[in-house]
Amino acid sequence: MTTIQPIPWEAIEALLHRVQKPGRYVGGEYNAIHKPWETTALHMCLAFPDIYDLGMSNFALAIFYELLNARPEVLAERAYLPAPDMIAQMRQASLPLYTLESYRPVAAFDILAISTAYEQLYTNILELLDLAGIPLRAADRDATHPLIIGGGHGTFNPEPVADFFDVFVIGEAEAVLLELIDTWQAHRHLPREDQLRALLDVPGLYIPRFYQATGEFGAVVPTDPAAPARILKRLLPTLPPTPIRQLVPNVEVTHNRAVVEIQRGCTRGCRFCQAGSITRPVRERPAAEIVESVAAILDATGYEEVALLSLSSADHSEIKPLLEALLERFAGRHVSISLPSLRIESFSVDLADMLSQGRRSGFTFAPEAGSDALRRRINKDIATADLLAVAEEVFRRGWRTLKLYFMLGLPGETDEDIEAIIDLAHRVRRLGLDIGGRKTEVHVSVSTFVPKPHTTFQWAALADRDTVERRQSLLRERLRGRGLRLSWNQYDSTRLEALLARGDRRLNAVVEAAWRNGARFDAWDEWRSLEAWERAFAETGFDVDAALYRPRATDEPLPWDHLHSGVEKRFFLRDYRRSQAGELLGDCRESCHACGILVNYPGMWTAEWECPEQRGVKSKE
Amino acid sequence: MNGELQITDCECSIQNPKSEIQNLKSEIQNPRYRLTFATRRTLAYVSVLELGKIWERSLRRARLPLKYSQGYNPRPRLHFAAPLPVGCGSEADLLDVWLEAPVDPQTMRTVLTDVVPPDLSVIDVRAVPEDEAALSEQLVAAEYRVWLRDVDPQIVQSAVTDFLHSDTLALAKRGRKYRGKTYNLRPLVEELRLEDAPVPWTGLWMRVQARPGATGRPDEVLKALDLTDAPRRCTRTRLILAV
Repeated sequence: MTTIQPIPWEAIEALLHRVQKPGRYVGGEYNAIHKPWETTALHMCLAFPDIYDLGMSNFALAIFYELLNARPEVLAERAYLPAPDMIAQMRQASLPLYTLESYRPVAAFDILAISTAYEQLYTNILELLDLAGIPLRAADRDATHPLIIGGGHGTFNPEPVADFFDVFVIGEAEAVLLELIDTWQAHRHLPREDQLRALLDVPGLYIPRFYQATGEFGAVVPTDPAAPARILKRLLPTLPPTPIRQLVPNVEVTHNRAVVEIQRGCTRGCRFCQAGSITRPVRERPAAEIVESVAAILDATGYEEVALLSLSSADHSEIKPLLEALLERFAGRHVSISLPSLRIESFSVDLADMLSQGRRSGFTFAPEAGSDALRRRINKDIATADLLAVAEEVFRRGWRTLKLYFMLGLPGETDEDIEAIIDLAHRVRRLGLDIGGRKTEVHVSVSTFVPKPHTTFQWAALADRDTVERRQSLLRERLRGRGLRLSWNQYDSTRLEALLARGDRRLNAVVEAAWRNGARFDAWDEWRSLEAWERAFAETGFDVDAALYRPRATDEPLPWDHLHSGVEKRFFLRDYRRSQAGELLGDCRESCHACGILVNYPGMWTAEWECPEQRGVKSKE
Repeated sequence: MNGELQITDCECSIQNPKSEIQNLKSEIQNPRYRLTFATRRTLAYVSVLELGKIWERSLRRARLPLKYSQGYNPRPRLHFAAPLPVGCGSEADLLDVWLEAPVDPQTMRTVLTDVVPPDLSVIDVRAVPEDEAALSEQLVAAEYRVWLRDVDPQIVQSAVTDFLHSDTLALAKRGRKYRGKTYNLRPLVEELRLEDAPVPWTGLWMRVQARPGATGRPDEVLKALDLTDAPRRCTRTRLILAV
């Protein structure tokens, strides 16, 4: 049994002078919740498997922290993976991973929820479990160990890490966490296998031990009659109340600001975008509720900045009156409002203009592809001529830096599409020179496309190294000179991301071998170890090329088919064919394209949904 | 990012006198308050910029009418007497705050006490003349208590004796732009001795200069004593202003 005594402060303090940014490891944040251990029935640890700076910026954890602690009998505390210097100190001092509220060992908690927000966290998950002193594999754990649950976008293909988790939450955890903990509480006295069997009754939970993978890249099928063949994601009919008493970090973190989620999901249907499909239906928070929430959060935190979170801010139906109301309400209080994910249109420039209050930092657009033809293939409905007109508007209104985001290696991409990126960047640069003068800058950021599960492009192959690197060097050669800046991804890093995103259950052995070889922090250029991965591929005999460079047949089973985002595979297939024909698919607020959401969630429609109430009928206005 | 913090985050920094002159001209209407505060445990591990933000947010939660600078990036006017080194708490640090309108200092203390983070406490608030010199210009010295663990008190004592008997102790200057340059720590340390501390600690007490361009730091003293790796608890116990 693990001790439940807190780690003495002196033991933690003794390490802190040896590490960078020790404030990450001590807690003490304003609004942190400290509950008594002895009088709370359920102890839950919320963990983010990367450093504090990123974990504190993860909004999902903020939602669950407030939601769980609102229950009197539940205590929820936080843990983040320390940076390598602190990990080394903790291992040397035999200090296990502890939570930042009570400094108790993570292994002492009943349930450990670990974010699987993105694939490059997978080796960190193993590091986190190991640092906590918890056996890595679910099969090696029993009821004395915490129940390990995973949640986040990565759970839409969790097979590469299925052996390490007991349960995955599919979809919106707000909708299912309380059911999960109540069911587990009622069965916690049972052996782990029976606890998990009881959890089969909770819809939206994927419990990998009751399933097996068939063949290479094959379907995952139940081995237990009680396990559902397909798990439909859970969702909430309306957005949950936004967290108000948000944590205020004492040390600098990546996103150090208040957050209100104004909209979930996106109606635009970009074919590469996993977030857009797995977060459907689009639900928006009413403007009046947003304004009241912002007021309450600012009072409770003292934050001087609030970010309005969504996948496509300008699409909120009340966005302009919302911003007007916020600006009026908080005038003179020195609050800045940020609006991420703006579309390329003059309306977005208006919105940014309203918020900037004279400041002009950078403006960001994501054309994603260089040519009109390729943008049609990915369903990014913006013509080059319009893009240039909007860029001109940005410079006219006084911005001096414009960032352009592109993807490279998209299905159907040719060298001409790369020429189109170069041409577009130079034309934007010239507009900047003419309007804003010599100080204007155009930053071109080109990331390599990874075909993600549960998207229209899920059948596509990853572009090969030669193609990607040749096109990158083409960009490097031609996007030179004053006022132009280019950034791109290392191919090795993209290849790893693609493998973890698209892999099947055989990857568990590879991930574990890579971790044993020293792979950690795969998203960090300075800490990633590709050599550890290469050795792991060799040791396990895993054929990476077969996993990545073969387009999947549209009639073959996929290793994530048993998990259902509510969007039907046949919708993606139809859309894949439309892509190949260069056809656009319109915004689904205007008319429904029958993606499957309305059919799979009957009776759940509310006025907050952007879906027309019935197929083909426009319900709003 | 973090207000007009007067940063002296190296052993020899020079205040910018120009900003003070501008301040005298433009801020004459704004009441100025001096906060005496303490930080401990978790808040010993923040940088001076982070502590500035912690104060800004605490003052905002208290809904005090902070005086902000003009321009595109308005910042509140907050001046510390001296930055606390990362890893060091304080029993009596000083911060000057400018407001838009007068507030009763006792009220200010009460409202702040309710909204500061757990390891920060407000000891005193009082009004000070608006034209008084900046705290950092009044500061002459600081006293620190450093408790050490896993050290032999006799070895520490002999290191202290050697330290006090030397005339010159060259240490590398901090910061990239000073790479390869050294400074003499010895004259910056006015007093240094062992003092009693609870088990298992070995106590050190020091008084170092803290003038513009001449600031001694406790971690640098530990370096000179060859105690870099010893677990420690560092506390600034007093700031000494010119009379």
